[in-house]
Amino acid sequence: MTDIPLYAVIMVSSTLFALGLLGIMLHASGIRLLMSVEMMLNSANINFVAFAGYWADPSGLVYVLFIIAIAAAEAAVGVAILMNLFRHKGTVNVQSVRAMRW
Amino acid sequence: MVAATLEYAWLIPLYPIIAAAIVAFLGTRIKQGGAPLVLLGVAASFVHALLVFLQVIQGAGPHQVSWEWIVLTTHTISMGVLVDNLSSFLSLLVSFVAMLIVIYSWAYMSQEGTGRRRYYAEVGLFIGAMLGTVLADNLLLMFIFWEIMGLCSYLLIGYWFRKPSAAAASLKAFLVTRIGDVMLLIGIIILFLHFGTFDYRQIFSAAAAAAEAGTLETVPLVFAGIMIFGGAVGKSAQFPLHVWLPDAMEGPTTVSALIHAATMVKAGVFLIARSFPIFVHTPEVFLVVGAIGGFTAILAASMALVMNDIKRVLAYSTISQLGYMFLALGAGGILLVMTGSSLGYAIAIFHLMNHAVFKALLFLGAGSVGHAFHHAADPYDMRQMGGLHSKMKRTSITMLIGGLALAGIVPFSGFFSKDKVLAVTFDAGLHEPFLYAFWALGLIAAFMTAYYMFRMWFRVFAGTPRSKDAEHAHESPNLMTAPLIVLAGITLIGGLAFLVPWGSYGGMQAFLATDINNYAPGFVTVTAYTAARFLSDLFTSPLTYVSLAVAAGGIALAFNMHLRGRPDPAKVQARFTGLHRTLTQKWYLDHVTNGIASFFAIVVAGLSAIFDRYILDGFIGGTANGIRRLGGHVRTWQTGVVTTYAATIIVSIGLLLIALTFLFPYMGW
Repeated sequence: MTDIPLYAVIMVSSTLFALGLLGIMLHASGIRLLMSVEMMLNSANINFVAFAGYWADPSGLVYVLFIIAIAAAEAAVGVAILMNLFRHKGTVNVQSVRAMRW
Repeated sequence: MVAATLEYAWLIPLYPIIAAAIVAFLGTRIKQGGAPLVLLGVAASFVHALLVFLQVIQGAGPHQVSWEWIVLTTHTISMGVLVDNLSSFLSLLVSFVAMLIVIYSWAYMSQEGTGRRRYYAEVGLFIGAMLGTVLADNLLLMFIFWEIMGLCSYLLIGYWFRKPSAAAASLKAFLVTRIGDVMLLIGIIILFLHFGTFDYRQIFSAAAAAAEAGTLETVPLVFAGIMIFGGAVGKSAQFPLHVWLPDAMEGPTTVSALIHAATMVKAGVFLIARSFPIFVHTPEVFLVVGAIGGFTAILAASMALVMNDIKRVLAYSTISQLGYMFLALGAGGILLVMTGSSLGYAIAIFHLMNHAVFKALLFLGAGSVGHAFHHAADPYDMRQMGGLHSKMKRTSITMLIGGLALAGIVPFSGFFSKDKVLAVTFDAGLHEPFLYAFWALGLIAAFMTAYYMFRMWFRVFAGTPRSKDAEHAHESPNLMTAPLIVLAGITLIGGLAFLVPWGSYGGMQAFLATDINNYAPGFVTVTAYTAARFLSDLFTSPLTYVSLAVAAGGIALAFNMHLRGRPDPAKVQARFTGLHRTLTQKWYLDHVTNGIASFFAIVVAGLSAIFDRYILDGFIGGTANGIRRLGGHVRTWQTGVVTTYAATIIVSIGLLLIALTFLFPYMGW
């Protein structure tokens, strides 16, 4: 297996992270926001894996497993919130929810 | 075996304390509320103290047994006992008188039910604390026992705590003596800072060495001496802190006897006697001691003239007699420094001993009278009594002996000591002329003493019964009269104590002077009086006949007024209404004390209120207002719009990244 240079992997993960960030900034749909967050998490995962290989240290891989588990839980909670939001408002547009304020 | 008792002298204060602890925590099964156990403890102390005393009079003292207690880098504080002539004698006296009082309590308190357990536990602790105060080998340990005694007096005066007057009296005793205790603590700390130790013998030898070298700083020592005397003033009820003692009558009479005769008030006199080897370097302190004592002697005697409560008369009498002791210590100290005679010091302790015996006798006698009157509304009101002599012969005769001793009639014990107190004051007047004035005051007080004592005796025991209770009074049980008879016997022959040889010592004066000689060498230069010299001095001096005549005059006046009604006391009272009211109102000293206390209370309370209202409330209220207003602004950031939150997070993280990358390296992070 050919070595992929570290900078290339970081480029990919940075791009993924930037896309996720952009998604959060630009979209109003709750589903899209969730997906963007997942993208950002996975860009971090890519970094972890890359550096784990680079330093030949498996602890990075362990963190990746943690992040996947936490992301799954987070997604479950997020989707549950959105489903309730849809039941009440008939939309998943997060800008339609303004009651939770001072 | 006997020699070991000296080594184990530290057990003397512990027997009653252990007995008290057992009675307090495990005492329900002991009969009589624990009386036998506490009596056993006090008797053990007495026997032990007696064995120690028998060795000390053969010259075994001073003997110190101490352990390291608190070890600091610079100082080591020890705890232990110092058995010397003074402490061995006083521990014997205290344990003996206390033992008789506990025996008496057995009968006197028999009607008290389960509450007796509390009584006996507190009494045991009280007696143990007094023995500890006397025997402690350093100021700190002494102060601890001193404070335990203060606590016990509070508890015992308030024994009938459901009675509001008893609760108030116990609180008053505690608070008033507290003023003295704080002063004592200041004095102790000054001595500690000055000498770096609490140990008596180390302080004495350091002071003596410094005085020898001429490097003694007298100013802090005078201050410390006056502060220590302040502690004695509080404990021994001297002016102006005497106000607690008359109110202390609210406790059971046995407690009064204990406080007045064996413990508590005697601790103050002991403290000054114990501190003598320091004070000899600063004679100014003796002036204060003598002046306060002399003034208190006459002030308290004047108040005793008009009291109608037997116990109150005796209480003022105690204050007055303690004043005599301090007068003897003060004048004796000046005499010691000026002429090298230890007579005044020895006389003060001699008077302490005699007073301990006859005042215990008088109080227990008063308790016996109260026992006969326990159905009356006020069992100690002498206006309801009269003619008790035929019904209570033992109480009457023993109290007569006590009264004669108190009045200073030859040959009872009080005569020898009281007369010599005045003689010593007169002699010291040669060096400090103002002491002549205190001699004159002391003489007037002696007249008053004889009068008030016999006013009481005639009103209670002579004449005709003035109430139904008085007609039906009957003698107290033998368990109560036996201690009275023992004490009366000692009062009869107590004067001999000064005359007979004490073991290897020529007499009491030589015995007591040895301590001063050991601790502050070079001060006692005059050899102690022999018995012959003492007696010839006593009976050839015109002063003796003056004071005897004065005492006889007081008794005669009491006889005329209160038995024959010439002049009629009521008329005399009507003639001097203002004076009478001033005396019954105790010279308005309670009012003055209350006024001063409430003045300070109002000032402090007012200042606190201002501080509380404007500074504290302003600060706290201002903070709360500021935060509420800040919150009003901050909470508007919570818009409820998710995208705003996301934007905030992104911008914040961006700023943080910029800061981490560019800013922080410049700041050296």
